[in-house]
Amino acid sequence: MRVVLVPGVLALLPSYGGLEDPVAELRSACLDAVAWLGAGPRVVASPQGERVAAYLCGEVVSRLAPLAPQPPQALAAPRPPVGGVLVVANGSATRTEKAPGHLDDRALGFDDELRAALTAGRPGAVDADLARELWADVDGLVRLAQEVDVDPASVSVDYDADPFGVQYWVMRMEGVRR
Amino acid sequence: MTLRLGRHDFDDDATLMMAIVNRTPDSFYDKGATWAEDKAFERVRLVVEQGAEIVDIGGIKAAPGVEIDAAEEKARVVDFVAQVRESFPGLVISVDTWRAEVGRAVCEAGADVLNDAWGGADPELVDVAAEFGAGLICTHTGGATPRTRPYRVEYDDVVRSAIEDTVGYAERALAAGVARESIVIDPAHDFGKNTFHSLEVTRRLDEMVATGWPVLVSLSNKDFVGETLDLPVGERLTGTLAATAVCALAGARVYRVHEVVETRQTVDMVWTIAGRRPPRRAIRGLQ
Repeated sequence: MRVVLVPGVLALLPSYGGLEDPVAELRSACLDAVAWLGAGPRVVASPQGERVAAYLCGEVVSRLAPLAPQPPQALAAPRPPVGGVLVVANGSATRTEKAPGHLDDRALGFDDELRAALTAGRPGAVDADLARELWADVDGLVRLAQEVDVDPASVSVDYDADPFGVQYWVMRMEGVRR
Repeated sequence: MTLRLGRHDFDDDATLMMAIVNRTPDSFYDKGATWAEDKAFERVRLVVEQGAEIVDIGGIKAAPGVEIDAAEEKARVVDFVAQVRESFPGLVISVDTWRAEVGRAVCEAGADVLNDAWGGADPELVDVAAEFGAGLICTHTGGATPRTRPYRVEYDDVVRSAIEDTVGYAERALAAGVARESIVIDPAHDFGKNTFHSLEVTRRLDEMVATGWPVLVSLSNKDFVGETLDLPVGERLTGTLAATAVCALAGARVYRVHEVVETRQTVDMVWTIAGRRPPRRAIRGLQ
């Protein structure tokens, strides 16, 4: 089972679009990962995160929709499996003075530990109380850990940055349902 | 309506800055600052850098003064238009003239638009615009003679007069063969109008926009701003921008200006408030 983690960044939504895209690199990484995930993933997210997930899935479907009849070799190309999981979550929002939650000295350490847990295939290894204090959105990760055993060797990081004082990751991983 | 100004097309929702470039020794605002050809060319280069889509080149000041015949007007603008055309192929070149003879010469030199600030005083100007595929600005002057000041002018309804005259002019242009998408109407603030007329035209500009013809406004540093605020030329920018904001909210498409940067910011801000343009880059609260 394929699993993808994306952050619940509202700036990804077309309804908040500007003339310039402030999250172009993140958007590209998210769309590539969701395309890898395959059609019709189950979404594990907050209601706000579900909107981000719905946009990403819809955008991938519209981009994959053929504009012209496909040549035979394209039809024969391997397609992503169905039944993946799209998790919407992110690290702290208190990493800098300009961050939404202002600077909290504990943020960098918290995010480092969470990054280590995620890349080790342990998405549920997170301090939920501290996450709330640091404005981190980790509920999806806890729910994922309850449902899926992630193969640590499968985890790859497509995006890892905090452009607005908020820690974002785009990760791909594989696992089996518990 | 999509705008086609000579060689250049603009989307339905585009607003355009028309920067004033005077080849005159005596215009009210710059007082001859760009009278010399090299200074005028520097002005063109500056306003292009500032983002103006159009330059409006004029060889005669609007106010009364020394008579400038067609030959002298052509001497002031035709070669200059050719020089600008060669240096700035992507720029819309408008020429502020009411004379068909001058219009023909500047179109041959590469002009895209004829800005008839005197409301069809020369009836053959529309034929020139049609022949060259040029845009045409149809203004309202209340029938004023070119280069005269208003004197005890009154209207039953100045906005109705402006609409009837400019739309009538636009339809004459259309009948003469000017493309529909190349015709713009302009209420012409201060032209054939006292300050109360110009304020009312500003307040009710949405009625002109509702005609469906693209609307140009020329507000920059004019006397109606000065009289409203009791400020001389040189201190009217804030008032100009306030009037600009009102016209932008009403939906004016083209802004004839001295100050490009400030007007562009004002129009973009209002256009965005009106929901016709997204913010440049929005991330606050959306991280």
